[in-house]
Amino acid sequence: MIKIENLEKVYRTEEVETKALNKVSLTVNEGEFVAIMGPSGCGKSTLLNIIGLLDEPDGGSLKFAGTEIAHYTERKRADLRKRNLGFVFQSFNLIDELTVVENVELPLIYLGVSAAERKEKVDKVLEKMQIMHRRNHFPQQLSGGQQQRVAVARAVINSPRLILADEPTGNLDSSNGNEVMELLTELNEAGTTIIMVTHSEHDARYAHRVIRLLDGEVVMENVHKQFTA
Amino acid sequence: MLQNYLKIALRNLWRNKAFSAINILGLAIGMATCLMIMLFVQNELSYDRYNEKADHIVRVVFRGSIQGQKIKEANVMPPVAQTLQTEYPEVQAATRIQESGTPRISYGDKSFKEGKVAMVDSNFFQVFTIPLLQGDPKTALVQPYTVVLSKAMAQKYFGAANPVGKVLTFKEWNHSCKVTGVFDKVPANSHFHFDVFASLSSMPDAKSSSWMTSNYFTYLVLPAGYDYKVLEAKLPQVVEKYLGPQLHQALGMSFTQFRQKGNDLGLYLQPLTDIHLRSDFTGNLEAGGDVRYVYILGSIAVFMLLIACINFMNLSTAGASKRAREVGVRKVLGSLQGQLVGQFLLESILLTLVALLLAVVLVTMALPVFNDLAQKQLTFDLLATWWLLPSLALFGVLVGLLAGSYPAFFLSSFQPVAVLKGKFTSGKGSLGLRSGLVVFQFCISIILMVCTLVVYQQLEYIQNKKLGYDKDHVLVLPEAWLLGKHAETFRQQLLQDPRVVSVSTSGYLPAGPSYSNNFLLSTDDNPTQLLKVLRYEVDPQYIPTLGIQVAVGRNFSRRYSTDSTAVILNETAAKTFGWNKNDLGHTLSSSDNQGRKVTYHVIGVVKDFHFKSLHEPISPLIMTLSTTAGAVIVKAKGADLANLVTSLKEQWNKFSAEDSFSYSFLDERFMQTYEAERRLGRILYLFAGLTVLVACLGLFGLATFTAEQRTKEIGIRKVLGASIPNIVSLLSKDFLKLVIIANVVAWPLAWWAMHRWLQDFAYRVSLSWWVFALVGVVAVLIALITVSAQAVRAAASNPIKNLRVN
Ligand SMILES: Nc1ncnc2c1ncn2[C@@H]1O[C@H](COP(=O)(O)OP(=O)(O)O)[C@@H](O)[C@H]1O
Ligand SMILES: [Mg+2]
Repeated sequence: MIKIENLEKVYRTEEVETKALNKVSLTVNEGEFVAIMGPSGCGKSTLLNIIGLLDEPDGGSLKFAGTEIAHYTERKRADLRKRNLGFVFQSFNLIDELTVVENVELPLIYLGVSAAERKEKVDKVLEKMQIMHRRNHFPQQLSGGQQQRVAVARAVINSPRLILADEPTGNLDSSNGNEVMELLTELNEAGTTIIMVTHSEHDARYAHRVIRLLDGEVVMENVHKQFTA
Repeated sequence: MLQNYLKIALRNLWRNKAFSAINILGLAIGMATCLMIMLFVQNELSYDRYNEKADHIVRVVFRGSIQGQKIKEANVMPPVAQTLQTEYPEVQAATRIQESGTPRISYGDKSFKEGKVAMVDSNFFQVFTIPLLQGDPKTALVQPYTVVLSKAMAQKYFGAANPVGKVLTFKEWNHSCKVTGVFDKVPANSHFHFDVFASLSSMPDAKSSSWMTSNYFTYLVLPAGYDYKVLEAKLPQVVEKYLGPQLHQALGMSFTQFRQKGNDLGLYLQPLTDIHLRSDFTGNLEAGGDVRYVYILGSIAVFMLLIACINFMNLSTAGASKRAREVGVRKVLGSLQGQLVGQFLLESILLTLVALLLAVVLVTMALPVFNDLAQKQLTFDLLATWWLLPSLALFGVLVGLLAGSYPAFFLSSFQPVAVLKGKFTSGKGSLGLRSGLVVFQFCISIILMVCTLVVYQQLEYIQNKKLGYDKDHVLVLPEAWLLGKHAETFRQQLLQDPRVVSVSTSGYLPAGPSYSNNFLLSTDDNPTQLLKVLRYEVDPQYIPTLGIQVAVGRNFSRRYSTDSTAVILNETAAKTFGWNKNDLGHTLSSSDNQGRKVTYHVIGVVKDFHFKSLHEPISPLIMTLSTTAGAVIVKAKGADLANLVTSLKEQWNKFSAEDSFSYSFLDERFMQTYEAERRLGRILYLFAGLTVLVACLGLFGLATFTAEQRTKEIGIRKVLGASIPNIVSLLSKDFLKLVIIANVVAWPLAWWAMHRWLQDFAYRVSLSWWVFALVGVVAVLIALITVSAQAVRAAASNPIKNLRVN
């Protein structure tokens, strides 16, 4: 599903030049659940953002389902994002001015889905995330765990082929964190590919495979579970 | 999608109530001001356009100079209309208006003095589009002694009865006139407003062939699309052909000789639609507008709107951090920048429309006040004019786009990676631009404040200027000619009153409407050199009544029979004639009505006094003794003039008909001369105030944001020992810098603008540095108060709380 070769990313600020990614190569298969780990500042988020087409690499190749996408135009990136990708962030990133329902249906609006169909889909996913009773609340009226469930709901509403999660449990206590991990696992079992950045060895155990980064380089891969495509 | 955007927009408005309020209020005030000025400008520009032929009617005017004295007359000689029509086929029609003063009109037991009476040629209603409700526009005024009345006038005299065919008596004309037509009324945006049009054919003078008098406002209809300049270029031939011989006869020199001496007289054309705004003639039918004031107000409108839009931009970009996450999330979810731009523009348009609603309310409320200030009768009726609502909506949308475009592009350009990482530092990038905008706002405010102050100074200066005569406690009864031969008796009666100091009976007044008499003469030094001076015909009481100082020689006296040919000069006249003012005994010669030579001997010189407005320098003036009364000028002792007026009226009524008494105060007439400037002054006070207010609103909002953004920094500084004054000065410093820069930019601009405005006055204040300094200090103070209110609040807050939040 994702094939990365010699990916490079350099951040240049006035004098300092940070090599955030240094010739990173990795492959993620369709249906796989991969965790990326490593100390703070090693380039995990950078990698995830490049895969999520939020950032552009300075070198190397990035293939999505066999197509080179490293240097897509903004319009094509936006299109690929809204059709095939779902994002979950550490800080939830819900829009404060929108209710739960409105947040979740947002991707569908950008996809031009009709109101009736939107309602049906949103209801279904909220049901699944067990957040239906809070459908008309605003994000600030929810607990962290609830907010993250809404964020996951929003990420899956467009039935993406790939979910990118950047420390999804980072702001949650362990029981809420476990709940979110269970959700992701369920989604993965239903066929969605997941790439997740995490600091937690505990969370990483949910994944099939752990990729460890250090100073922008892949240093180790552990396989937890056998993944069979 | 739209629904989603609207929801977000409204929730944002609601959530940030204070900023929404500042934004909406600022925009509303800006738009209301702009709308009001637009109404004013539209009205000014619409003058005389109600005429179907507005684009191809011109007025013939008269300009020239005699001995360096400029002549600019809006009315021309009696035969001009007829002559041009016969000489040039392109003149399709020519019509004339002559003002008729204030005749007394009677019908039965109703009798009124009317101020708005004109005599016009019979084709008047075919030239000007004033439809007749009754009567035939082609023939109504063909017969002598016929009149056409306005509806109101007809009602006043005849009530509900049919006015046509009724006969009105005109006392001054010793004649009756038959009503042959009725019109509704002359539109408000016309350069004349008469209620009665009488047939000019009643007047023998109308057929006069004299090119030596000018008292007919003359209008020509040219072919549509015809360039009036073409005809204008031919007019010198007409002047030479007709005026030439008559001038020769009167002055004894040919027109060519007259020209060679540096004199000139000529006829020119003025488009009808220029009359209201671009007339600098003496003797207009009505005081017109001034195109410069249209420009000034127009620029104020534009600037006001810009300032309000800038507030919007500043507040939106300063508050960007609040929207940054939304932008990031939307982009992650697949939104394109274009869609976000659309969303933010929609928001600003929405906000603008809300502000527009408020602006409409404000305009409706403020229009009476503005009308009062601007001396207008502007109306703002959304339903009465079909195009008003759609154009208002368009206006709102345009302002929304103007105000919203920069914030929209700014906000929508955030990169999601940066924003979502939480590394987003709010709007640093736009800080430079925001500073520029604040400087611009304050620049405009400062310029307006300086202008206001200088206009105020000049008006004060005018009011307090030593005029060389005493305008206080002086009453003018302008129509003493109504008293006829009783004028002297009336004068003697008034002198019995202990409250009266002295009384003169001259129609020549140094302020307000006055008789005027240009006089051609030559001096004994140089008999062939013709000079044009102003001549005042006065009685021996004139000089003491007005408190004019005799510098050399003596005043007129009835005791000297030779004083009938005596003349008193002002100092400027003596200087112009090249005489030492102490050197009396000179003579001046001129010709009387019958063309006989009259020699005047100089008996005195008075100190210069301002008998014209302070716009003009003092010109040569001579005074001769008159035998007839013009106006009655009463110098009173005390300030209690109200009682005196009552007894003056009683006295008057003994000599003249009921209801003919009218009076004015000389100092008020004086102030009326500067009505245009005073009006400008009042309007400037208002708009300068509003501009400062809106600019401050913006500054307040900006200061609030800054304080909010820097709460963490403030907290840390306080933990480290900073005092409240430290913090306040930290937060205020940046804004003060901007206001000071604004001063530096604004001063030269304000200086230039006011320097130019003052050029219009021959007598004016000098621009003093302290005006600029004062405005600078005031601007800094206003900014300081606005900003520090927020700064103090931020500084006084509990640092631990701030740090915990972040
Ligand atoms: N926008 C940026 N500008 C400059 N340096 C950056 C930027 N974003 C990330 N970096 C640097 O790149 C490196 C990798 O960052 P990141 O991918 O966020 O690390 P992680 O998510 O693993 O903690 C870090 O050293 C970080 O300082
Ligand atoms: Mg990270």
